Amino acid sequence: MIHMNDVMKVYDNGAIALNHINVDIKKGEFVFLVGPSGAGKSTFIKMLFREVLPSSGILTVNGRDIIHMSNKDVPYLRRSLGVIFQDYRLLPDKTVYENIAFAMQVIEAPRRMMQRNVNNVLDIVGLRDKYKCFPNQLSGGEQQRVAIARAIVNNPAIVIADEPTGNLDPETSWGIMDIFKNINASGTTIVMATHDKTIVDAMQKRVIAIEHGEIVRDEARGGYGYEH
Amino acid sequence: MSINTVEYFIREVIHSLRRNNWMSVASIGTVAVSLFIFGMFLMLVMNMNKMVDAMESQVQIMVYLEDDFSRDDARDLEVDLKKMQGVEKVTFVPKEEAMEKFKERLGDQKTLLDALDETNPLPDSFEVMVLQPEMVKTAAENIEKFEGVNSAKYGQDVMEHLFDITRLIRIFGFALMMVLALATLFIISNTIRLTVFARRKEIAIMKYVGATDWFIRWPFVLEGIVMGFLGSLIASVVLRLTYSGITAKIYDTLAFFPLIPEEPFLNYVTMIVVIGGMIMGAIGSTVSIKRFLKV
Ligand SMILES: Nc1ncnc2c1ncn2[C@@H]1O[C@H](COP(=O)(O)OP(=O)(O)O)[C@@H](O)[C@H]1O
Ligand SMILES: [Mg+2]
Repeated sequence: MIHMNDVMKVYDNGAIALNHINVDIKKGEFVFLVGPSGAGKSTFIKMLFREVLPSSGILTVNGRDIIHMSNKDVPYLRRSLGVIFQDYRLLPDKTVYENIAFAMQVIEAPRRMMQRNVNNVLDIVGLRDKYKCFPNQLSGGEQQRVAIARAIVNNPAIVIADEPTGNLDPETSWGIMDIFKNINASGTTIVMATHDKTIVDAMQKRVIAIEHGEIVRDEARGGYGYEH
Repeated sequence: MSINTVEYFIREVIHSLRRNNWMSVASIGTVAVSLFIFGMFLMLVMNMNKMVDAMESQVQIMVYLEDDFSRDDARDLEVDLKKMQGVEKVTFVPKEEAMEKFKERLGDQKTLLDALDETNPLPDSFEVMVLQPEMVKTAAENIEKFEGVNSAKYGQDVMEHLFDITRLIRIFGFALMMVLALATLFIISNTIRLTVFARRKEIAIMKYVGATDWFIRWPFVLEGIVMGFLGSLIASVVLRLTYSGITAKIYDTLAFFPLIPEEPFLNYVTMIVVIGGMIMGAIGSTVSIKRFLKV
């Protein structure tokens, strides 16, 4: 699913965000990216959906060569991915339903599929009865569920999340993690950058630790490994 | 493109025009003013072209005689003129008849002539017709050499001055239109830029979920086209009213000054103006999206 070979990222200002990155992530895996702030987690995540272009190395996602792909193919790469951010990024003037349907609308999905898929993901994230609400009428946890629903409504092969529980209290975070577990259980690959030690330790999934732009640990069933 | 998508685009455009209310109005107004001025120049140039054409195809020479030339001598001159090569027809116009004709042409304004107090300043004249327009110039030059001829005037003569004027108007009009077009493009692209800015979050999300660049661009391009279209409609209506007004006025006061008839002329002008407006809208928005959207 994801293959990195000696990937390096140097930003325009000369900052080396990632260096000598070698990683293979297989279909159906659940992977945590951990490490201190500024380690390069977000850069790693952004390269996967080509928000950031690697400076050198080989990177393939879903069989697509990220470095050599043309700009006009990027939308099709992204349709095979679901992206989730710490700050939800919902549209405030659209309802829950519209926010999720928007992701289908803009890729010109057939309308008859739309209603079915949206209702389906509303069930998965447990927000069926709130479909008419606007984001400002929802709690942070609920907003993140909407964002997750939007990310999976087009049935992506990989879900990528950058600190999805970063703004949430522990209780709420567990609810979010349950949803990710369920999504993963249905065969979707998940790559998640996080700071949350408790969650990583409890989940016992693959952990890739990054420090100063380099991978310092890659364990199949690991814990967070830092004292925070 | 599915109906679903078309519907979505239309909703987006309406939504956006409403959101940028006064900017949209300003853009539409600028388009309207620019296109109105453009249309006025277009109609002016076309009318002048028509006049030049009409004069160029004339085969008539007006031969004005000296004041003291007697009617007997004039009859001899008529015979001489008729013998000239290329001359088809010669008609004598006595000064009294010339005055009558002049009064007729002035119509309502003939009271102007009261100041003349029944004196007649017009000379006797001949209307000379030649066979072909190309012969007019040489014939007139030869006629002027005859005894008793004061001057021989023909349309092309006037036309040469007119040509200088039309050229000036064309150059000036063209320069003005360029400035107006640039101003219009500028304000349209600015309005669209505001729209893009207002919707940057939405655009970012669209990109994350895999919308194509064209899908993202279309509503903005459409918005530009719609603004151009609305502006050109306003310009067309005002242009039509203005031209009708001018035609009516000229018909009342200067009946001999022929304008191009309103139909179908105004329909062509409207078509050009509307298409021009939509093209300006499309270019204005495309430019700003290229600059500010970076999709
Ligand atoms: N757009 C950017 N331009 C320049 N430097 C950047 C940019 N984004 C991130 N960096 C730098 O790259 C390094 C890794 O950042 P990031 O990937 O955001 O780390 P993390 O998500 O682990 O906190 C940091 O040193 C950061 O300052
Ligand atoms: Mg980060």
